[in-house]
Amino acid sequence: MNEGHGFTRHGEELYVAQFADSEKEVLINLSQQIIELLAERVDQQDQDPLAAMVGITFHDSPPDDEVLLRLLPNAYADGVDAAEFRRYTESVLRTKKQAHAMSIRTMLMSSEDGSIELNHELANAWLGGINDIRLALGVRLNVEKNSHEELELLAPDDPMRGVYGVYSWLGWLQGNLLEALMDGLES
Amino acid sequence: MVKTKSKIEEEINAIFSSDRPWITIVWDDPVNLMTYVTYVFMELFGYSHERATELMMKVHNEGKAVVSEGTREEMEHDVARLHEYGLWATLQRGDQG
Repeated sequence: MNEGHGFTRHGEELYVAQFADSEKEVLINLSQQIIELLAERVDQQDQDPLAAMVGITFHDSPPDDEVLLRLLPNAYADGVDAAEFRRYTESVLRTKKQAHAMSIRTMLMSSEDGSIELNHELANAWLGGINDIRLALGVRLNVEKNSHEELELLAPDDPMRGVYGVYSWLGWLQGNLLEALMDGLES
Repeated sequence: MVKTKSKIEEEINAIFSSDRPWITIVWDDPVNLMTYVTYVFMELFGYSHERATELMMKVHNEGKAVVSEGTREEMEHDVARLHEYGLWATLQRGDQG
């Protein structure tokens, strides 16, 4: 059983962390869920293959699912402009978000002892990927309406309590990686 | 609907009055960490730590902040990159702000 600890900076541009088995499992599982959720939005089979090749999709209306809408938001307040922008950019955005989640998932899966080493580029992918998971959990926890004080007071048997625990831990992990990165930027 | 002459003139004037008439706005979000928002501004726009922190505080305190200005294409590019990192961003004409 490995004990987890957060990211520390090693040398110029290397960020090293150790994950406990349970932490590894949670992160792999949640990354997979993000990948699958984004895949649900995948384009229709009968789509024009040439359009698909250059990244144009038939999706020009925002997702119905609240989590997907937060991950793939409108770029314009105006509906017509938002739809046009979405048609030309959404599939690229989905691919990038899946790649962020995938880098977390595959690196953890191939790390037997739970140790992870990130360069600057991978650190950015992890930050974006962790953030997407937090955004998704945030929608489910309704952090827009519920204060942190209220969430802290959830009953022990409330299933949302566990979700809030993971959400808080991911916030800590992200803050920890940011600290390691910002150290370098300010020096 | 046929546009009136003055409306067309207005639009033409808007096009020529400034070559940087579009803006990118980042909106406050209860999930994104303050340090994360600051870091994303530094990474994507190359802003100093001080300027990025200032913009982040504006988003936090006032609910939104203009984070970049430029052509429509440039702002669409900025919004797409901000969405990639999970920030809640939109673009619009600068005179609508």
